[in-house]
Amino acid sequence: MECVVQGIIETQHVEALEILLQGLCGVQRERLRVHELTLKSVPNLGVVSSEVRLLCDLDQQPEPTWTVKHVGGALRGAGADQISVLVRTMIESKVSKNALRMFYSLGYKLDHELLKVGFAFHFQRTAHISVSVSSVNKMPKIHAIDEAVPVTPGMQIVVVTAPATPENYSEVAAAVSSFCEFLAPLVHLSKPFISTGVVPTAAAAAASLMSDGGGTTL
Amino acid sequence: MPVKWVLYWQPNQGSTVSTQILNEAAQCAESINGVKEGRWKATLNYYKPMLRDQSNHPDLPRDFLGISLADQPSKYYFIIRSQRIVVEADASIQLIMEKLQSYKSKVSLYFDGFQYQLGDFRLRVGRVVPVHSESIRGIVMEVEYLPISSVEKARKVMEEFVEIWHEALSKRSLSGKFVNTELNFGEFGLGDHYTPQHTGVQYAIVMAHMIATVQPVVRG
Repeated sequence: MECVVQGIIETQHVEALEILLQGLCGVQRERLRVHELTLKSVPNLGVVSSEVRLLCDLDQQPEPTWTVKHVGGALRGAGADQISVLVRTMIESKVSKNALRMFYSLGYKLDHELLKVGFAFHFQRTAHISVSVSSVNKMPKIHAIDEAVPVTPGMQIVVVTAPATPENYSEVAAAVSSFCEFLAPLVHLSKPFISTGVVPTAAAAAASLMSDGGGTTL
Repeated sequence: MPVKWVLYWQPNQGSTVSTQILNEAAQCAESINGVKEGRWKATLNYYKPMLRDQSNHPDLPRDFLGISLADQPSKYYFIIRSQRIVVEADASIQLIMEKLQSYKSKVSLYFDGFQYQLGDFRLRVGRVVPVHSESIRGIVMEVEYLPISSVEKARKVMEEFVEIWHEALSKRSLSGKFVNTELNFGEFGLGDHYTPQHTGVQYAIVMAHMIATVQPVVRG
């Protein structure tokens, strides 16, 4: 299970966001370069059609590492509506490098693939929170990560996630929500698929952050 | 990690596998100064694709299996022998497979038995039983040579050990023998340095041979 919010930010304000995050998180940022492949089952396979994501972390040494991720349904109902973050089932597993070949053999086909390039912060604040800021890039040819181009030039996506359990998701959601308030001057974060656009005053907030290296209280 | 060979019991024509053979093998290990260390267990699952329309069969593998090994409790291994594919994953991959509902585990087998230390060797002898059943379907034996991780470098010493084992076991006049399956790890993308994936592949090959060669006794 995980709690998720996301938002968009203009690329010109990403540096200011990084300064803000550096101050808030108190940890070193990590480079992010992830090739994300979404696979779908062939017709007739499975009780229902299924989808699985394979993530290849291109920055790992000595060679890229792979993770399989299944994202499930979101929490629904009146309780879910009260929570400002999305709570959904999510299971991850590290896998060895030929997992893609295995899923192809099992009847899964590539539906789409993306390359996410940016940075991330991972830290503890009541919950284990991860914030990533990245450009989302598409490939003109299959698996051609070196030729990837931004899907929306000039814009980047900010995603905040935290793992949760059925017992603690309320606390985790509250921690994520509370953290997001600190980012509000630069980016609106909300449940995925509920777009709130960019923050109109982000330019001023960014200028303030850049002018004194983040010392100003927003 | 140390090199390991996985052998299986091949009964003579007309004979069947039984618990008595397992007991004899265990006693044989002790007779050559094996020190009993405790029990071991592994689990193997055969997966079958779930099709919404049974009359429409996409080209899907019939030999997709998953195994959890005694030495690696937090990992799970998938093997598609016909495609020469082996994958190592976290144990949570089983939950992902359940969520996908595209493949279901139709047959599950346990391997369990005792483990023995014999100098630089570790021996595991175990029965193969279906889950929820006590009827023994086979016997496997793992032979591990602790000082060496290179498949090729360990070959000679492993062959010598298996010779000694065969000789010790032959004194018990059993109707069959333990067989080692020669396989080309390179075909599965595995190198000379031994890993748990090598073990997973051996179990898949051993199961395929066991199913093909172990026949029930035909009663006239």
